[in-house]
Amino acid sequence: MASLSLDKVSKIYGPRRQAGVLAVRDLTMRIDDGEIVGLLGSSGCGKTSTLRMIAGFESVTQGEIRIGDRRLNDLPPAQRGVAMAFEGYALYPPLRIEDNIAFGLLRARMPKAEVARKVADVARLLEIENILGSYPSTLSGGQQQRVSLARALVRGADLHLLDEPMSQLEPQLRAILRARIKDYLIEHKMTTVFVTHDQTEAIALADRIAIMEAGELQQLASPEDLKEKPANLFVASFVGEPPMNLFPAEVDSNNAIQVINRADEKAFSIDLDGAGDAAAQILHPGRKIHLGIRPHRIRVGPVGVNDGANAVARGMLLSNQWLGDQSHLGINVGGCFMIAVSDRDVALRTDEAVDVSLPFGALHVFDRDDERALLHGMSPAEA
Amino acid sequence: MAYFEIDRLSKSFGKSKVIDNLSLSVRQGESVVVFGPSGCGKTVLLRLISGVLRADAGDIRIDGESIAHLGPDHRDVAMAFQNFALYPHMTAFENIASPLRARKLAEAEISRRVHELAELLRIDHVLGHTPRELSNGQKQRTSLARSLAAPPAVLLLDDPLRNVDAKIRYEMRLELPRVLREYRSTVFYVTQDYKEAMALGNRVGVLYDGTFQQVDTPAGIYGRPESIRIARLFGDPPVNLLPARPELSGDGRAKLRIGGSDLVGPPSLESLVGRDLLVGIRPEDIEVLTEPAEGAIAVELDALTPLNVRAVMLLRDGQGTEILASCPEDDRPPLSRGRRQVWARLDLGRALFFDRATEMRIH
Amino acid sequence: MIVKAVRAVLLALVALFFLFPIFWVLLMSVMTNQDILRSPPSLIFEPTLENYVALISGQLDTSVGTLEVAYMRNLMNSLILGVGSVLLSLLLGVPAAYAFARFRFRLGENIAFTLLSFRFAPPLLVLLPLLFYFQQLGLYDTYFGLIWVYQLITLPLILWIVRGYFEDISEDIEHAYRLDGHSWLATFLRIAIPLARPGIAAAALLAFIFAWNNFIFALILGSSDVQPVTVGALAFITASGINYGQIAAALVLSVVPTLILALFAQRYLVEGLSLGAVKG
Repeated sequence: MASLSLDKVSKIYGPRRQAGVLAVRDLTMRIDDGEIVGLLGSSGCGKTSTLRMIAGFESVTQGEIRIGDRRLNDLPPAQRGVAMAFEGYALYPPLRIEDNIAFGLLRARMPKAEVARKVADVARLLEIENILGSYPSTLSGGQQQRVSLARALVRGADLHLLDEPMSQLEPQLRAILRARIKDYLIEHKMTTVFVTHDQTEAIALADRIAIMEAGELQQLASPEDLKEKPANLFVASFVGEPPMNLFPAEVDSNNAIQVINRADEKAFSIDLDGAGDAAAQILHPGRKIHLGIRPHRIRVGPVGVNDGANAVARGMLLSNQWLGDQSHLGINVGGCFMIAVSDRDVALRTDEAVDVSLPFGALHVFDRDDERALLHGMSPAEA
Repeated sequence: MAYFEIDRLSKSFGKSKVIDNLSLSVRQGESVVVFGPSGCGKTVLLRLISGVLRADAGDIRIDGESIAHLGPDHRDVAMAFQNFALYPHMTAFENIASPLRARKLAEAEISRRVHELAELLRIDHVLGHTPRELSNGQKQRTSLARSLAAPPAVLLLDDPLRNVDAKIRYEMRLELPRVLREYRSTVFYVTQDYKEAMALGNRVGVLYDGTFQQVDTPAGIYGRPESIRIARLFGDPPVNLLPARPELSGDGRAKLRIGGSDLVGPPSLESLVGRDLLVGIRPEDIEVLTEPAEGAIAVELDALTPLNVRAVMLLRDGQGTEILASCPEDDRPPLSRGRRQVWARLDLGRALFFDRATEMRIH
Repeated sequence: MIVKAVRAVLLALVALFFLFPIFWVLLMSVMTNQDILRSPPSLIFEPTLENYVALISGQLDTSVGTLEVAYMRNLMNSLILGVGSVLLSLLLGVPAAYAFARFRFRLGENIAFTLLSFRFAPPLLVLLPLLFYFQQLGLYDTYFGLIWVYQLITLPLILWIVRGYFEDISEDIEHAYRLDGHSWLATFLRIAIPLARPGIAAAALLAFIFAWNNFIFALILGSSDVQPVTVGALAFITASGINYGQIAAALVLSVVPTLILALFAQRYLVEGLSLGAVKG
């Protein structure tokens, strides 16, 4: 068990000294002992290259990777003290599931009885006890993935790397396995880095999430902070299901934010009276911004009901969808399509006018030019 | 009044019966969502309706007239495909215009209709592009526009949001009903995502083992699933299933022993005394408390996952049984690492009771 | 640096190995017979165009007198036979390939394989009976007869390559077009054929080259009136000796059309073959 640090790590594919493909640029992060960190991003963002560099399957073009005080750059994968679960499972076909999981432990000369106990433990955790005697080729994708996970978790290495660890899990098992795995990682104080494109998976498992895009780290923060304090427009548009409503806007001379719709017309405005000093300083008249509104902070009600929110906009309810434990609403506000989410069934009819309450706490402001966050809920974003 | 009827349809490939005596009637303008796990025969069903496959037995009728003997080009059925199936050598405009060209409309009329649809679906700025130059979201809208261009009697949508990213999926999920209302379409929508099924269906048909196992409104399926299998298909996190046998207590009320405590059940439980049940409790019907309270059982909180609107909690009772609970994000207990003691209050009034042997819900 | 140099040398050697025969034929075509037959061979000689002149004028001077050769006619024949047989094969083969790709019918696989198996049989096996039939039917020494028999070469080729291409087109795209209200014929003409065009072009090109290079069918089943260049080159083996210079010149001329075609469509050819044939 140990901490992991990446110091200005870059990866460039292609011939040396020629303009190659930049997969990872100047990535610096420190992962504490026992911490669980998820690398989240869409395909081609550099997350898998990063994981493969840590594992030792890719060379590091620039920078340094260390576990504790050991420099990893030039060590072969086997000497790094790293366990990995592969996206393609990579199970050993001629070995039974039991032996697949035990392989690394037996090779490290652990006593047989202890191996058996550990295998049984992890098998119970991942619900693969009934297939321990089978061969990999007879298993479904979801089962193979659970075996591959088991093989990585059982190792007790310095560092555990999981590549898309739960992408194939059966939907009914997913919620409970995520929770169990997290519990297991915490209980065994396992330092873990995993890669995923599924933000639900990242949020469920990680202490902190590194959002990557175009080879660069956009933000490394706790799931809560990613939602409440996204560092820039990309993070804001990427995190959250459904993601944040984002509209171009401008501060006018009457101290109000004018939101602009697709047709370049004024859609609705938010009066900034009482928004505080920080907002007054940043939101000077004429400033061009992006306004972000978190769907689940919006409250939607019948026309005329003012629940004390700082701003209210009139809109038309286009759809109202009850999903069993939450409602999703689509509202046309002056030509802007706004998504709102509520944790209860909303008794409103579609194609009727509604009032949309926008408390200051729901608003995020980003600079239009460099797309960095300026305000979160009218408090200044940290630089 | 049935407008679109599927009547005892069957189709086998070799020895395997993929569609087995399947019937359904749909009213005009209704959206029916076909929901089922992968490999349940959804695609075959769509192909039978569209006419690229012929059924072994049964009939399909639109407005009382059988279309089973007609080729795909004469059925007045349109379809949007999961992989979009755009014509790669034609522009978006020509793709959308294709059904209108088949009907030999005048050029001006074709252009008018294509532009009207493109505007509604917000792809008017990319009509001159070929599919290769479109983003996935634009491809999806183009494919939808094509299926609506010559308003069909029945519109088939084959998992159309499967291959677009999350943001567009949410937008389209909320926009689609409005577009469909505008075109008064009778819709047959296939999906593997229960949320999509609940969001878009006037009714939802749960398809597996070759036939509809239950057809009901979204709220009906969610609240009154016929079997354990259906109950588990709807809901994420899925419904908890706790084995229990109701017993009569001293005051004549039925009690359930869950998590080492006796919980008072609803009056309907009294008729089930002595039967082996699986009690289905949805995660949102469990309240998690940080203090002990009347009727709440002591449990260990093993993991807390703050999702977007709701937080999901993994609880473990004294016997080691795992229970999933969820609550609005604003009401969740504070985040902290590691296990701790909490109390859970189960809303048995909303519980589902299944027979343990047959796995069917007891009414 | 050293690695690079070694690689360059090795590549040059390989190129030399493959290009040498072509280079040598080119040289021979501008040499007189005496220069060619000199021993030891020498690279120092007086280049001459008389071989080409002889071919184009049709007058072949030999030691025993002037011979008439119909080489230009042969060239024309090659063109007629090649283009004719490819066109016929496309007409028959493309719809057939579509049928094999899209419809599962009884004996379908067997028929497709039978068509391919024509390529396995040595032509000599069928030539003699064919000759008798052709003479009886009046097909001997006609373009039509040769184009017909060339189908043994071109049809299976086009059928199998194009079939692979059709199979690669998503069925959904064709279904979508049918559902738009178009007939199956319209779907075939406006969706399937345009999308398979690179494959069809590659197959046609390859079939043309195979037809062009054929020797034995034309040798037996036609006279010099319809014979292509491959057979025409035989005329230079005369009673008074073999005219290597003219043979070489004939070779160069006969290679030119296919070479131009191949260079022009190289990209198509590679793409078409690797995409269609391998998967099919």
